[in-house]
Amino acid sequence: MTTTIIWTIAIITILGALLAVVLFFVAKKFKVEEDPRIDEVEKVLPGANCGGCGHAGCRAFAQSCVEAPNLDNNFCPVGGNETMKKVAAVLGVEVKEKAPMVAVVRCNGTCENRPRINEYGGYASCRVKAALYSGDTGCSFGCLGCGDCVAACQFDAIHMNPETGLPEVDQEKCTACGACVKACPKAIIELRNKGPRNMRVFVSCVNKDKGGVARKACSAACIGCGKCAKVCPHGAITVENNLAYIDFTKCKLCKKCVAECPTGAIHAVNFPVVKPKPAAPAAAPVQAAAAQDAKVENNEQVKKEE
Amino acid sequence: MNKLLVSPSPHIHTRTSTASLMRDVVIALLPAVIVSVLFYGWSELMILGVSVVSCILLEYLITRFLLKGKNTVCDWSAAVTGVLLALNLPATSPWWMVLIGAVVAIGVAKMTFGGLGQNLFNPALVGRVFLLISFPAAMTDWSATKGFISGVDASSGATPLGIVKEGGIEALGNVDYLNMLFMNIGGSAGELSAIAIILGFIYLLARRVIRPHITLSIWATVFVFSGIMWLVNPAEYTDPVFNLLTGGILLGSVFMATDYVTSPMSAKGGIIFGVGIGLITMLIRYFGSFPEGMSFAILIMNSTVPLINKFCKSKKYGRA
Amino acid sequence: MKKTFSIGGIHPNDSKISTNCPIEVLPAPSVVYISMAQHLGAPATPVVAAGDRVRTGQVIGEPAGFISAFVHSSVTGTVKSVAPRKDLAGNNVMHVEIAVEEDEWVDGVDNSDMIVREIPKDNKVIVDRIKACGVVGLGGATFPTHVKLCPPPDKKAEVLILNGAECEPYLTSDYRIMIEKPEQIVIGAGIMQQVLGVPRAVIGVEENKPKAIEALKAAVEKLKVLSASYSRIEVMTLKKKYPQGGEKQLIEAVTHREVKSMGLPIDVGAVVQNVATSLAVYDAVQKNKPLTTNTLTVTGDCLPGSKQRNYLFRIGTPLSFIIEKIGGIPEDAVKVVSGGPMMGKAISNLDATAVKGSSSLLFLTAEQTVRKPESNCIRCGKCAEACPMGLEPFLLNKLARNGMMEELEDNAVQDCIECGCCLYSCPANIPLLDVIRIAKGDVIRIIRGRSAKK
Repeated sequence: MTTTIIWTIAIITILGALLAVVLFFVAKKFKVEEDPRIDEVEKVLPGANCGGCGHAGCRAFAQSCVEAPNLDNNFCPVGGNETMKKVAAVLGVEVKEKAPMVAVVRCNGTCENRPRINEYGGYASCRVKAALYSGDTGCSFGCLGCGDCVAACQFDAIHMNPETGLPEVDQEKCTACGACVKACPKAIIELRNKGPRNMRVFVSCVNKDKGGVARKACSAACIGCGKCAKVCPHGAITVENNLAYIDFTKCKLCKKCVAECPTGAIHAVNFPVVKPKPAAPAAAPVQAAAAQDAKVENNEQVKKEE
Repeated sequence: MNKLLVSPSPHIHTRTSTASLMRDVVIALLPAVIVSVLFYGWSELMILGVSVVSCILLEYLITRFLLKGKNTVCDWSAAVTGVLLALNLPATSPWWMVLIGAVVAIGVAKMTFGGLGQNLFNPALVGRVFLLISFPAAMTDWSATKGFISGVDASSGATPLGIVKEGGIEALGNVDYLNMLFMNIGGSAGELSAIAIILGFIYLLARRVIRPHITLSIWATVFVFSGIMWLVNPAEYTDPVFNLLTGGILLGSVFMATDYVTSPMSAKGGIIFGVGIGLITMLIRYFGSFPEGMSFAILIMNSTVPLINKFCKSKKYGRA
Repeated sequence: MKKTFSIGGIHPNDSKISTNCPIEVLPAPSVVYISMAQHLGAPATPVVAAGDRVRTGQVIGEPAGFISAFVHSSVTGTVKSVAPRKDLAGNNVMHVEIAVEEDEWVDGVDNSDMIVREIPKDNKVIVDRIKACGVVGLGGATFPTHVKLCPPPDKKAEVLILNGAECEPYLTSDYRIMIEKPEQIVIGAGIMQQVLGVPRAVIGVEENKPKAIEALKAAVEKLKVLSASYSRIEVMTLKKKYPQGGEKQLIEAVTHREVKSMGLPIDVGAVVQNVATSLAVYDAVQKNKPLTTNTLTVTGDCLPGSKQRNYLFRIGTPLSFIIEKIGGIPEDAVKVVSGGPMMGKAISNLDATAVKGSSSLLFLTAEQTVRKPESNCIRCGKCAEACPMGLEPFLLNKLARNGMMEELEDNAVQDCIECGCCLYSCPANIPLLDVIRIAKGDVIRIIRGRSAKK
């Protein structure tokens, strides 16, 4: 009995010692030389491995940061400027601040604005649907509503609104990683400047059909009339293929275009609510437009709160 | 004008559904169920009732409250498990044992893996084997209960295979194969009548619910293997026909080895699977300590299915 | 023994309801919209402008590339506009709008019913006429026929296969032309046989069309007397099994050869043409008549027997015009399909127009076509059993949903022919083909990208 125990102990001990030696040499021999700073940089990254920076994951990004001469071409959209500052501190280099971005859904084809003329009965995926036909409405550019963007978001920052049938971005959670932009087969979602106090002005439409066709399909469509481009004092608006686009690097948030747009396709969000003056109802059209403008903002605010 | 429905092709679909397939399996099991109830009477009816009801109830409760997913009661799969479990138990089983079997079958073997289509092992068999290991005495008490019609000669309380295991081949005496084919085998309800099971097999084939590869390859393997052994030494080993007709070979090969979820997909894989089951069953029968090995054989081969699926791919067009 | 392909296949109810309706000539509508993208490849360039007067058979679109085709006016009248218009999927395509005035053919077209049996000797003349008449494959893919008839010099065609299988349920247009114009089809086969220089031509017809087989055989017998070249045309009876009319399946059934993955039929010496294409080739070569009409089945279980039709329509006819002719969409129809129920396209826009490749308007009821909710895969393997390419749709579905591109390629997703057998036979209603089709596109793009880099 005792001999069995002794033998067992002896054999296990020797085996353990032998394997430890083998492990020691293997670890030495096959050791991969890596810049220790990669580990340090990785530690300050968010660790979401979302791929928003264009690299395969946070470690690949860290490696790229360490190897690059400066941080100009590397930016972590999730961590933003703060994280980049930390990365810069680890590496001992300077970093330029970048304006924070946010995903913006450029379609306002709600069930009301854009009547459904067909019904989809296949696999609920925008990609499948887009490959099949132009969508349930007369607009062949707008949102298909199957939620590929929702499925692509790793941060729970985009959701379908069952009432409008459109996705809505939660600007607090959105990290501008760009996953939804890639997932959308209609290229509706765009990464735009988050703006001061989240104030943004953008064209909420991507329809390139001629004005009449677009208007017939959707009452909130951009008809490419060009009024906004004319009124813009900063030259931020271009109209191409019957579609207006606001360059957010030039836009000064004056909102002149918002009042001018005949279809309400230009959205201004998160601006402080302007209370209409008591005498407003009977007043000039400019004021009426302003009132409407305020209403739009209200809607947006309500959506945000939801 | 109404809205037009738009979806990708194809625009038509076969009438076959998961529920219709499972319902067909239950229908195919009916002859065996009827025979067992006729010969084993009220006690068998009780076992069937407890088994089926508890399986369905468990499936409902677990999908509803634990998995919180889609409810899969309507697809009849729990009913199939219930009937199969009942047919695998001795007629003398007490109701609580049946209930434990159902809990293990549905709760452990099926739902912990994620429910329908995800389980690695056949639920009914896991339930049966669990009971066999936990309650060996009760699970091998084959004394007949009072049936609605008499005729079962199983007062000895042992199956033919059990007799052979205990006392060797001489103890068996003369066996009447014709009798065995119809009803006269002592054993679990599902082993009673070979004809009833074969009827079910023919129904399943005719309705294209299963393909014959797995079942036939099990039969062929059992027949060939026991044939060789019997020819080598008839005094030691039982003959092939005896082996095919006794025990769970028929019930197992037709209804449990062919379970979609736990069997290989391709025809080639099915044959390998069947040969494996046949071989393991006969090895256990001839050399193991249990008189019967079908349940273990199927469970062991169940575990090889992912591998078989990986390596036995069907022939692809244009790829030599 | 009746031949068929060896792997997979399904047996849906063939539902050929309109089989006994003779081909009727559909009157010209008041306005036609002729699409410039009626063929595979680059859309044609319009060569007319608003205000121009065009005659029936006049060229209105010229090919814009090697794989492209001429488009002709199907009516006589005035061009009202040349503008984008939505096709049946709602996508913008360039259309020429013509207000119909009368019906006057361009010069040089033989519009009589007389059958011309003498085949021109010069192959170049034949190919030029086929090209000039805008003939494209009418079996579904609408690949320009003249391109298919001129295989690259390093490939040798050995057999011409005419596809008369019409394996899709409901469709009867091919069947009708086979029994109404068998001689023209056989002459068309003779023409293509001569151009390709193949010793053998086979017309494959499924066994559920005995009258068509009889008619074609009789036509071959009759023509044999005139010219020995027709004696090498064989009418072959094929088993009824879907997708018998798939190019790869038909080649295997007839020649027992398999086209390699990502390969072309010509690699195994086969050229496959539809019987309707053969008829168009006959018209082009023997009558100098451009492809401006085709046959279209209007059918569906919900359509009463008296409204079932096989129409000879002019290309550019609005689908809504055809539907009007049969008295509107049946009440219980929820879906209108252009093509067969297995591979056809659901129409989202009834203002779209019929094109060269239109073969049917099929009305389906909710009970027939609405998909049931997807449930768990029970690993029954019925999809793999049904797949005529020997693929494993259940596996591809899983890989595709996880975006595993390399594994998808290893499991040959690129070989999928989108026949729909997997989705048809899945008891759990899993949208297998929907998912696989997208994955196939992605993988083929990856493969192309890789070979482009090399």
